[in-house]
Amino acid sequence: MKKNTHYSTYIYWAMGLFLAIFLAQCGLKAISVVVPTAAKANQRVTFTMHCGAEPRIQGGGSYSTQLVAGIMVPKGWNARKNLTMSFTSPKGNGTMRIIPDSELEPVSGLSWHQAAKKMFGIGPNLVDDMEWIVFRSTQAYSFVNNEDIDFTVKAECNVGTENMLVSLGFYIGSSIENLRPEDTDYKKFTFSNAFEVTDGEGDLIDFINPQLGTVQPVKSLDNDIITLTFDGGVTNTVLDHESAVYLHVRAMDESGKLIAEIKKQTADTKLTDIGGKKYLIDIWPRGFFKVDKDRHIARLEYFYTDITGTKSVGYGNTDEPFKYTFRCE
Amino acid sequence: MLVLCWGINSCKDELGNIPTEEAEKDITGNWKVTQLTRNGENLSKRLKLENFKIDFNADGTYSIADDLPFVVSGSGRYRLDDPQYPFSVVLSPTEGKEEVVLKFQFPVVNGKRQLSLVMSLGCSSNTYQYDCERLNGGI
Repeated sequence: MKKNTHYSTYIYWAMGLFLAIFLAQCGLKAISVVVPTAAKANQRVTFTMHCGAEPRIQGGGSYSTQLVAGIMVPKGWNARKNLTMSFTSPKGNGTMRIIPDSELEPVSGLSWHQAAKKMFGIGPNLVDDMEWIVFRSTQAYSFVNNEDIDFTVKAECNVGTENMLVSLGFYIGSSIENLRPEDTDYKKFTFSNAFEVTDGEGDLIDFINPQLGTVQPVKSLDNDIITLTFDGGVTNTVLDHESAVYLHVRAMDESGKLIAEIKKQTADTKLTDIGGKKYLIDIWPRGFFKVDKDRHIARLEYFYTDITGTKSVGYGNTDEPFKYTFRCE
Repeated sequence: MLVLCWGINSCKDELGNIPTEEAEKDITGNWKVTQLTRNGENLSKRLKLENFKIDFNADGTYSIADDLPFVVSGSGRYRLDDPQYPFSVVLSPTEGKEEVVLKFQFPVVNGKRQLSLVMSLGCSSNTYQYDCERLNGGI
């Protein structure tokens, strides 16, 4: 019995070694992307991924797999509704289909889209309002040893209605390898340089550069609980040496008419110091402004002040207020 | 073998005696919010939860504290979608709004019954979970 256990241990070691050699000598080349620097709101844009396969199959045989590719874009683009992907390669060209939500990525137990988000994150973006969308080729392709090829994946989608500055994410992988955390050969990903959407709605949403003032969640209504953050580490402001920071805020209706203004420095308007020159305050706007049931706050205008209210910081460290519009789309 | 048969038979008898009728869920009481999460982020320590209260009264009415961000405000009537196997509590606000269906769970945590309500307050993309305990230590 003991002898058998010994043999099975050797077999597992051998299998592991074989797998390690196999994995170490086979895989995908690094991914490079072509992304325009800017596009106009609602414009349909093509993003191009260049990659390659380097099959090094021990002991002959072939390696058969489907191509997997994904991109990470702001949720506000609604890219799931209009994103298409296709590829060209020496082994043939083809279209790709979105992997259904119901199909789970085996390693994580999540949908492929959620698994990609968990694995690759949001890159250099500072605000998490992003989604990964993963596609797969409709056909499988077989490789023999040393059959190196380069291939190109094109992703096309509309860029949404909002002005923004964002870094986009790109992923290429192999369907039979899944998203194993330890694997570095079969999943290649990268993030683009800044991509700007212009001529759209609203103020510029800057996902990349640290902001003096941010609001979470990015999309909310006046009955949500929102968190306003002041990051004094972004630049020097008049509040640099103040021990406490307060919120001065106005609530406006749809027509831009003032509903209420709160500018007193009290416990209710004092931000909490969370370290690193960052401060935050959570408010439930409807309760904070005691709005009547039939009125709705359309947007906020706000400043951060010292305890006297005389020193004030606005948008971009100017006298202009920060603005936040309540919206879900 | 005889012992085994006797054992199986006795199990059968015991199982037959276990009542299978599920007790009705009773959410009546004065509840206070003890934990609040927004999109999975715990906000409990940053918000003043002491005034976040909900009353589900025995006469089928409910009332929401003025300070509590909630999917409805004020008062109204409530019912469970199924008295024995409920997944949701259905709120009918007094002020003529449509019924609001709230998903809930009713686990026992640390020996105390907990009422967990899941809802969106504003945008449907934002999900809040309120974990509540009965006031005055009731179970």
